[in-house]
Amino acid sequence: MKSGMVRAWLRLFAVQGAWNFERLQGIGAAWASEPLLRDLPGGPEGERYRDAMRRAASFFNAHPYFAGLAVGAIARAEHDGVPASQVERLRSTLPAPLGSVGDRLFWAGVLPTTSGLGLALAATMPWALGPAVFLVLYNAVHFMVRGWALRAGWENGMLVSRALGEPWLQTALRIAVPFSLASVGFALPIMGSWLTDGLTWPARGGVLAVAVLGVALGKWVLPTLSGLRFGLSAAGLALIVGWLWQ
Amino acid sequence: MTLSLVRLDDRLVHGQVVVGWGRALDVQLVVLVDDRVRASEWEQDLYRMGIPAEVELRFASVPEAIAAAPGWLASPLRTIVVTGDVDTLAQLVEGSDIRRVNIGGIHQQPHRSKRLPYVYLSDDEASRLVSLVARGVDVSAQDVPTARPVPLGEFT
Amino acid sequence: MNGVDIAWLLVWGTLVGVDLASFPQVMIARPLVAGTVAGWIVGDPAGGLAVGAVLEMFALEVMPVGATRYPDYGPAAVAGVALIAGTEGLHGVGLGVAVGMLVAFVGDFTIHLMRWFNTEAVRRRVPRLDQGDIAAVVEIQRIGLGQDALRSLGLMAFGLVVAWAARSSPPLGERGAFMLDAVVIGAALASAGSGALRLSGYGRAIRWLGLGLAGGIAVILFR
Repeated sequence: MKSGMVRAWLRLFAVQGAWNFERLQGIGAAWASEPLLRDLPGGPEGERYRDAMRRAASFFNAHPYFAGLAVGAIARAEHDGVPASQVERLRSTLPAPLGSVGDRLFWAGVLPTTSGLGLALAATMPWALGPAVFLVLYNAVHFMVRGWALRAGWENGMLVSRALGEPWLQTALRIAVPFSLASVGFALPIMGSWLTDGLTWPARGGVLAVAVLGVALGKWVLPTLSGLRFGLSAAGLALIVGWLWQ
Repeated sequence: MTLSLVRLDDRLVHGQVVVGWGRALDVQLVVLVDDRVRASEWEQDLYRMGIPAEVELRFASVPEAIAAAPGWLASPLRTIVVTGDVDTLAQLVEGSDIRRVNIGGIHQQPHRSKRLPYVYLSDDEASRLVSLVARGVDVSAQDVPTARPVPLGEFT
Repeated sequence: MNGVDIAWLLVWGTLVGVDLASFPQVMIARPLVAGTVAGWIVGDPAGGLAVGAVLEMFALEVMPVGATRYPDYGPAAVAGVALIAGTEGLHGVGLGVAVGMLVAFVGDFTIHLMRWFNTEAVRRRVPRLDQGDIAAVVEIQRIGLGQDALRSLGLMAFGLVVAWAARSSPPLGERGAFMLDAVVIGAALASAGSGALRLSGYGRAIRWLGLGLAGGIAVILFR
């Protein structure tokens, strides 16, 4: 195995550790790349290392779990002596597909799917089961992708699009949104029933009315109204009314 | 018209476009207008990998985009057009009947100054965008569909 | 709740705050996990699970795509659980969730502010970064992680103070408490529902949502 891979892999867990508005994940990506660049010809004092580090710390923003694919591919390109202009193009092009694939797989797929399942279990099973199943299932995919990403990046270098085209990934992307929707849809009535258990029927009607109002407001009236702002306003109102109407 | 979104974003086709806007608008076609990407096979391969199977991705140079714009405006396909720099966007808008433009993200470079957390523009770029407004084009910044659109006048 | 509990809550709140974006993103930051563990710390895991699950539904609306801003639900869930710890049953969840929402909202601003400090740290080192100086990278990385730990700790402390204030304020009365529960649960369902609708759009994907809903309803009916 390429030297520095384990160290780079561990450092990638903090790829967003210095997230900032000018370079986004650039600093974290540079820190993670460094172990892979130390053995460039000339070593850490050499010009190739310094040039590579300068490029590695520039603007970068991928999905955090897929960042390893870029870090590996770019390090490989640096070792292969790919011209600087090409490395820079690769580095500026890769974040977009990696962001898109990662957002679709995790934020629109694995996360809502496992979270919905966790909620459904939370409502119906002993307390530890929901959170535990969520954490285990989510991180099984999370660690698998992280483990694959850095290696696949290093193996493919400039041809990294081959890695993104792998059948397992394409299949996972196809089923991501359907799984999420089914899982969250499954959890909603179960949660509603669990949380309103013990409420009177008028109170249950109130819950339903608030829920419908919230969805309708967000959909048609105020698309920028987040669920959080809606919830905070509604809770504030309920507190005032509840306090006045003792 | 079903040209759902004409966007300026230097990251071109990334998560905000595909997940944020793509799902909200139920988009069917994404056109990436950029002369350099149009000329580079491997970059096109990479962008293709970032697009869901049910969405079509096309690449166009600026002249190709200007020629195709009337077709997008008339087409029933829900379409997002993405450009990566102010010059490309301005040429496209000036050469077509596009009347509405979304600024999704232009990031820091030495000659640019901060206008919004996700929008950095040089003075030339800002005045080029202002000139689009003078032509009657609606220019506003909005990174994702759930954010408030900020009209150009508020940050230039 | 004693001093040791509070110390553990501060530690846990810091860990989940840092997990959200900086390190290592294993999703202990999700309120379902953060809240339940907080409940376990203070001896009320079922209460922690309830508050965490409601806040989890709010969190389901958020898609952290690109650089958009997001609330910090981890320390929020811990604060909400600290408030309701030891109160019986599901009811009383409303006030805990309300405090959690407030902390999550404030958390959004703290993240934004911290990222500007990070940006300043980068700006001051641009000449060194442009020479490929790894020491500059390491410095910024340390500053960023250190700041996020402090931010999370501060947010958690703020959350515990708010929880303590809410706990010591005069009780809401039965009607008020029920109303708050109903509103908060309704808003949580709306949040998760809106998130799902935004993900599905109104194309063919929406049938998967329908399928899930049908399954969930079947479970309630035949259980």
